[in-house]
Amino acid sequence: MANKKLNVKAIFKNGLFADNPVIFQIIGICSALAVTNLMMNSLIMGLALVFVTGLSSFTVSLLKDRTPAHIRMLVQVLIISAYVIIVNIFLQAYMPAMSKALGPYVGLIITNCIIMGRAEAYAISNPPVASLLDGMAAGLGYTAVLLAIAFVRELLGFGTLFGIPVLPESATAWTLMIMPPGAFFVLSIYIWIARSKRIKQEAAQEKGGQR
Amino acid sequence: MKKEKQSIAYPVIFLSVLTLVYIFVLAGLDFMTKDVVAQNQALELEKKILYVFNLQDDYTTDDEARALFSERVTTVSETVDGEAKTYALLDGDKEIAYAVPFAGPGLWGSITGYLGVNSDFTTLTGIEFITQSETPGLGGRIAEEAYKAQYRGLDISAASDKLFVINRPAPGGNIDAITGATQTSKFVVNMVNDDLDTFLKEVRHGE
Repeated sequence: MANKKLNVKAIFKNGLFADNPVIFQIIGICSALAVTNLMMNSLIMGLALVFVTGLSSFTVSLLKDRTPAHIRMLVQVLIISAYVIIVNIFLQAYMPAMSKALGPYVGLIITNCIIMGRAEAYAISNPPVASLLDGMAAGLGYTAVLLAIAFVRELLGFGTLFGIPVLPESATAWTLMIMPPGAFFVLSIYIWIARSKRIKQEAAQEKGGQR
Repeated sequence: MKKEKQSIAYPVIFLSVLTLVYIFVLAGLDFMTKDVVAQNQALELEKKILYVFNLQDDYTTDDEARALFSERVTTVSETVDGEAKTYALLDGDKEIAYAVPFAGPGLWGSITGYLGVNSDFTTLTGIEFITQSETPGLGGRIAEEAYKAQYRGLDISAASDKLFVINRPAPGGNIDAITGATQTSKFVVNMVNDDLDTFLKEVRHGE
């Protein structure tokens, strides 16, 4: 921590764009497909993930010098599930409607690869505060993608955004969009766009290097 | 330190301590929110009973719903069946409708809910599901307004042989089944008929 300066900007740039968990690492797809038919669900799910990923990375990093290497995954799962249970309790107590809407997906945050991925890839070898930020950045990257998918799906499927009607009554609701296939289409289009952009960028960089 | 980590005891102790810490934190949180969660669940049930009695438009806030429930609805103690109680809607001191619990197997898991029937047992006032785990988008649509609305005000005075609700297009059909969810639709109609019949028999024997 002393010799390494905390580069907040780089961490957030990685989590949100360069290393976006959903678009570039293709992890956390299951819930990204499941809860994105409404923007409100996506937002709450995203925030829950920011909370869980951030704090589990923080805790894993705090304990990393004391954790025996061969049981570190056990420890990580324990830490992650504890935070997920906290989220679940909070939703049940203060947002019962949302708890119902998200149903099993809150509990399934435990199996979200993003959290374990960040714990293994970053928190296990970095200081706590940086890990906290890294986890939150990955969670925010996930939230951003979820909201982007939900925007298209809710708009076309229900004609609403955050439950507020925006399309005129005459617009025909596109039922496919609120069913699982809709998520596959929207997500793959996003991945397609983002990846082709990156390939172009990399090609341009290579050319520049050669000259 | 390195030697410690490789021993058998260290990982066990480490994990036990960590588990204990989290158990205390989680148990504490659970204890703190227990009442709120129980209240939420009670409120949800009360709202569902009000829906069965077609009173869902008579309140706007949660407090109004609670007040309306305690004012108009009472439990019918003599027909307590397990945990699901029968509720009655009061108009003054008179019971004008009943919410009869029903339960039965669904396609994936058991279905439970309440069916409303008026006090002369000729008309249904409504239906609401408490638990169901049918396929979302297919059988799960039993919980949607379009399906439930069919039970509202349904005339069952001509029903014979405990067939109060019948799926169309069978003769005498009065409920549209859900397309693509024939099994769920059948299960629901059967459990509603069975449990309503049992309730009516109990009431009539009682008289």
